[in-house]
Amino acid sequence: MAQPLAKKDDDRDDEEYSPFLGIEKGAVLQEARVFNDPQLDARRCSQVITKLLYLLNQGESFTKVEATEVFFSVTKLFQSRDIGLRRMVYLIIKELSPSADEVIIVTSSLMKDMNSKTDMYRANAIRVLCRITDGTLLTQIERYLKQAIVDKNPVVASAALVSGIHLLQTNPEIVKRWSNEVQDAVQSRAALVQFHAVALLHQIRQNDRLAVSKLVTSLTRGNVRSPLAQCLLIRYTSQVIRESGNAQAGDRPFYDYLEACLRHKAEMVILEAARAITELHGVTPRELTPAITVLQLFLSSSKPVLRFAAVRTLNKVAMTHPVPVTNCNIDMESLISDQNRSIATLAITTLLKTGNESSVDRLMKQITNFMSDIADEFKIVVVEAIRSLCLKFPLKFRALMNFLSNILREEGGFEYKKAIVDSIVILIRDIPDAKESGLLHLCEFIEDCEFTYLSTQILHFLGIEGPKTSDPSKYIRYIYNRVHLENATVRASAVSTLAKFGAMVDSLKPRVFILLRRCLFDSDDEVRDRATLYLNTLGGDGSVVETDNDVKDFLFGSLDVPLVNLETSLKNYEASEEPFDINSVPKEVKSQPLAEKKAQSKKPTGLGAPPTGPASTVAAYEALLSSIPEFSNFRKLFKSSAPVELTEPETEYAVNVVKHIFDSHVVFQYNCTNTIPEQLLEDVIVVVDASEAEEFSEVASRSLRSLPYDTPGQTFLAFEKPEGVPAVGKFTNLLRFIVKEVDPTTGEAEEDGVEDEYQLEDLEVVAADYILKVPVFNFKNAWDSMGADFERVDEYGLGPRENLTEAVNAVINLLGMQPCEGTEVVASNSRSHTCVLSGVYIGNVKVLVRLLFGIDSSSKEVAMKLTVRSEDGAVSDAIHEIVASG
Amino acid sequence: MILAVLFANSEGNILVERFNGVPAEERLHWRSFLVKLGADNLRGVKNEELLVACHKSVYIVYTVLGDVSIYVVGKDEYDELALSEVIFVITSAVKDVCGKPPTERLFLDKYGRICLCLDEIVWKGLLENTEKDRIKRLIRLKPPTEF
Repeated sequence: MAQPLAKKDDDRDDEEYSPFLGIEKGAVLQEARVFNDPQLDARRCSQVITKLLYLLNQGESFTKVEATEVFFSVTKLFQSRDIGLRRMVYLIIKELSPSADEVIIVTSSLMKDMNSKTDMYRANAIRVLCRITDGTLLTQIERYLKQAIVDKNPVVASAALVSGIHLLQTNPEIVKRWSNEVQDAVQSRAALVQFHAVALLHQIRQNDRLAVSKLVTSLTRGNVRSPLAQCLLIRYTSQVIRESGNAQAGDRPFYDYLEACLRHKAEMVILEAARAITELHGVTPRELTPAITVLQLFLSSSKPVLRFAAVRTLNKVAMTHPVPVTNCNIDMESLISDQNRSIATLAITTLLKTGNESSVDRLMKQITNFMSDIADEFKIVVVEAIRSLCLKFPLKFRALMNFLSNILREEGGFEYKKAIVDSIVILIRDIPDAKESGLLHLCEFIEDCEFTYLSTQILHFLGIEGPKTSDPSKYIRYIYNRVHLENATVRASAVSTLAKFGAMVDSLKPRVFILLRRCLFDSDDEVRDRATLYLNTLGGDGSVVETDNDVKDFLFGSLDVPLVNLETSLKNYEASEEPFDINSVPKEVKSQPLAEKKAQSKKPTGLGAPPTGPASTVAAYEALLSSIPEFSNFRKLFKSSAPVELTEPETEYAVNVVKHIFDSHVVFQYNCTNTIPEQLLEDVIVVVDASEAEEFSEVASRSLRSLPYDTPGQTFLAFEKPEGVPAVGKFTNLLRFIVKEVDPTTGEAEEDGVEDEYQLEDLEVVAADYILKVPVFNFKNAWDSMGADFERVDEYGLGPRENLTEAVNAVINLLGMQPCEGTEVVASNSRSHTCVLSGVYIGNVKVLVRLLFGIDSSSKEVAMKLTVRSEDGAVSDAIHEIVASG
Repeated sequence: MILAVLFANSEGNILVERFNGVPAEERLHWRSFLVKLGADNLRGVKNEELLVACHKSVYIVYTVLGDVSIYVVGKDEYDELALSEVIFVITSAVKDVCGKPPTERLFLDKYGRICLCLDEIVWKGLLENTEKDRIKRLIRLKPPTEF
């Protein structure tokens, strides 16, 4: 064992002296030669192993040659009968993790130990062998391992079980054969053996839902000894509940078990059970109450881990069920001053979620004190929570905006400042009253902003929003200051923003001109160029652009070409006599490769990000379709569906389709992705058989010239249909293309290709495609003001259903309308339910629907009363027809 | 999975560093992150008082014992509660080996035994043994008393 290398005494200097002082790898490797001595000195060998461990634990690594040499020397130590040394040998072999060809040297010694009468040799030999072994050796020792799992000595059994958990990753087929032995071990009287056996058994059976369910059923009835195993069981139980999916029907299975665990003596089990209950799908307030009660008790625990676990769970619950969590607010407020900042931050963000309008001011006061002594990462979380709170209580924007502007002035890193600026921008966008004060806060911030990125983004935003305010002139000073005081990037942005003010606000134009002229003498090319351009466009002689509208279009309008295409074209452009022609940039949207798309799918926030919501998607589709000449005369786009997958996941070609509905046309946009790196597809088109869609006739198509690997592309088909009629039908799709082999090393495709086809799923155009989901904020008002002139009422039998939720969802999906006021959620076990929907029918006719459902408790038959109100009787009838034929 | 067990002295120098399932290139980042976390928060903390943090989906429980700070990092089933169990076993085993909350010197004197204890407690990211008395026997290759 590691003995002190220096004599111990009370001398302070000696106390400071480390036994490993000046340790050096080369010297230790030299020392390791003692392992080869014919007369082994066990104590000295242990000391050298300790030094080797120290080196490894410091992150030092051995070269292959060094490791091999040490490993071979270590194997000689099996000759020693010293128990302490043997224990060290086991450890160092694992740490050295010898390569497969070296393992063989030590296998026989370990196999001998594995069959030893000394239990502890067996346990350790199992652990070492399983760490270093490969599949072939494993089959040889499998018999011993199976015996070990049911060994009477718990240490041996645990060693084999934990080895099994590790080996399951590399050799699942072997470990799965041990099920029976593991099953026996689950019944072990030793708590830890049971814990390891439960974990292994679950892993072996994790893909077999029925087996997991049986395991959970038997264990929840039986006697689980260790709290750790109990926690595992609670997790598996939640999994079974989740997968059984019948949350709404009757009593939830295993809820009683979870609830009983709330009274367990181990705190760990109580918290695990409380967490499991709060995460149940569709958990009811009644189910939630006992869990929240125990979590509340843990909030004032003396143990920080328990406080953290409780507040973390409550924080999560508050996202979906803020009301029950409000009971804990008082305890939560006392946690704001918790020494552990993670706990304090979670407490604050929870309070921000559960707080009501009246408590906002008090809360902000507490947070202000707290903000000064936490790290940026926590501050960002708080800022995001405040943003959500402000959107929830728009009337409180003053207090919250002031808070944001105050913290914006304080010290902080880029990410933190960006989070604050993003929040202010979102508030300005969503709360009209907050606009002027928000813009002024941003203006003040850029006066002293050290981040170029943020300054340019704010200047851009000011250019868009500033001119629309009541007094745009007050922003000019802040913008023009940037031209004097900042770096070239910010100066150029400021020039653009000034120009936007000049273009939008006529009264400011002459003064903006004077300022822009001053920029003509800037030291930077870009700044001068921009100033020159803007001066010519805004006040030019008409040679560059013709009218005022053209100016605005030029400065504010989009480029009308995808930025990616523009970038590629600019890169390809070689400077020559011929100027770059923006018309030469292709307008076809070539979607980004998959990886990029995934990266972008994160929630966009704040500056630079486009406004979220369906409007932007519709606008993007509209722009795309109108850029295709064949579809440009289809008039206004009414609705674009969500993409419908036409292929199974992970097939060679992935295709989904978006249905674009026009008044008298329907366009199918097929988004295709080629997932085979060795192929290039050309002339890709979808051939459609519309024999089951009688009212549709194909009028135009647009093929995709080339579809390289992992770069999605689109092909289009357009059909004509009777105007304003919600025609329905079924379409059979076949993907047709020319496939060319691609050399994976060079990435070049062969010249000749082969024509090929690929069958896709069928596509249907249904009635719901002709109804837009448009919410109304106060359904009763909307219903009353619509009046009963075109009201149509009828009753329908929906047949037997599992529960009301299923019936409600079926009708909502059939109609494709927007559920209002949360009425799509049915209380569990309820026998009747009212659901209200709103939407706009093709031809821009507003429709409101009131659905009254009832279910017979014995036969499960569901009856529905449908009341429709709209601005047109024919539309009200059409809604009834959809339901009647659906 | 227990991703890391790390011991550092009061100056933030690493005494023991054991990672499981953490790519080599990320280890340095974790090391400095943990040491900074300790430097920011462990001053004045009582022996064995647990502190807890989470970083994305990873949990960290850490404490101080004598001159040594101990960090345990885990994810998935090893959340803050399981990790507090792990760190409790580790601190009890270290105290047992050293006879008291160790000075840095004492810790290094008992380094070999502490490594053996860790080997019994955490094996490739899984918690294996939880009782200090049993661990004390196991590192001497003695069977557990209850057997």
